[in-house]
Amino acid sequence: MADESLDNKGCYTEHGVSGYGVAAKLSRGEPMNEPFIKAMAEEMMLAIAKKCLELGAKCIGHIKSHLKTEAGTIKADTIGVGHGSYSSGRLTHPVRDLFLAINSIVQGIPEDAVKAATLEGMHEVAGERGLSVVKEKEHTYFDEFDFTSSKQDFIKKLHEQLQEEESPDA
Amino acid sequence: MKITQVAGFLGCGKTTLMLKLSRDLAAGGQRKVALVVNEIGEIPVDGKVIEESGMQVKDIGGGCICCEVASTFAKTIYKLYKEFQPEHVLVEPTGVAVPHQVKLAARMGGRDAKISLGPAIVLFDATRPAELLDMDMLGQLVTTQVKDADIISISKVDAVEGQAVADSAAKVRELNPKAEIVHLSSFSGLGIDGLVERILAWKE
Repeated sequence: MADESLDNKGCYTEHGVSGYGVAAKLSRGEPMNEPFIKAMAEEMMLAIAKKCLELGAKCIGHIKSHLKTEAGTIKADTIGVGHGSYSSGRLTHPVRDLFLAINSIVQGIPEDAVKAATLEGMHEVAGERGLSVVKEKEHTYFDEFDFTSSKQDFIKKLHEQLQEEESPDA
Repeated sequence: MKITQVAGFLGCGKTTLMLKLSRDLAAGGQRKVALVVNEIGEIPVDGKVIEESGMQVKDIGGGCICCEVASTFAKTIYKLYKEFQPEHVLVEPTGVAVPHQVKLAARMGGRDAKISLGPAIVLFDATRPAELLDMDMLGQLVTTQVKDADIISISKVDAVEGQAVADSAAKVRELNPKAEIVHLSSFSGLGIDGLVERILAWKE
């Protein structure tokens, strides 16, 4: 059995692979429809991948995202700038708020660089399209995500979980 | 409880295949299926995506189940056996996991549970064969993944020409002459039925 002590580095570190994840709430005054959100998510994935390469990454494992809204879910990902970016999912109506989770796995640069590329890419593309990053929380996800709850309940839970980050409990 | 892993390098289509495979394997509720999804990035994007399909999903984050969090994986397997008793468990390791180490970790979880191992299905992305095998440092890892496979699925065959698929198959055949090679398109559904049949029929 593998020892799970803190000293035990994962096999991937031997191969120079680093990962970074962040969750955020993004908002825009004007409602955003499905094509708008898909285009933004695809552009964001490519922007992050490009920034990773600029920082010295040798290979993009994947940059993937999950955008949850009250109108449905959109997924977007890329395995490299040259491969393009793809999105899927459906929204039933335009929305002003979305909850975004991004997971970037890259080879050839340290985690700090993956973090910088991910956050810069997210903020840059969001800003260009008129969205503001209302809240963000790294290395987490919406743990109590309940897809069976009502829309009102689930939006409330998402807010609560992002709110936890703001509590000065540390 | 049969444990089947869907392995392969990052971005090769594991999560998409897991979604389709789990639905077909469950056959509308005829079989009880659970999924274990492991991600390095600590944000279980894949697990959440699969959960939306209504499947029983256990997320393992914070490290790789083939090494760092192998004992967490073993405990998860045992817990699934005790509490959910699925007939099949589909495991999606991280894209950098080594399949034979995942098998070892699963066996540890099976010490006190009645389990059998299904095939190690390793996906090989037809859209970037040279990129995968020639990558600095990572090329060796992809080679090991292919060598460890019981079944090699050449994935995304709908996205490339037939000759490119044949070239990918030839490359992996050189590395692993024993494994069965199947063509897969999660987009069109090509190869999914065949994988389900192989999982059901697989004997250790």
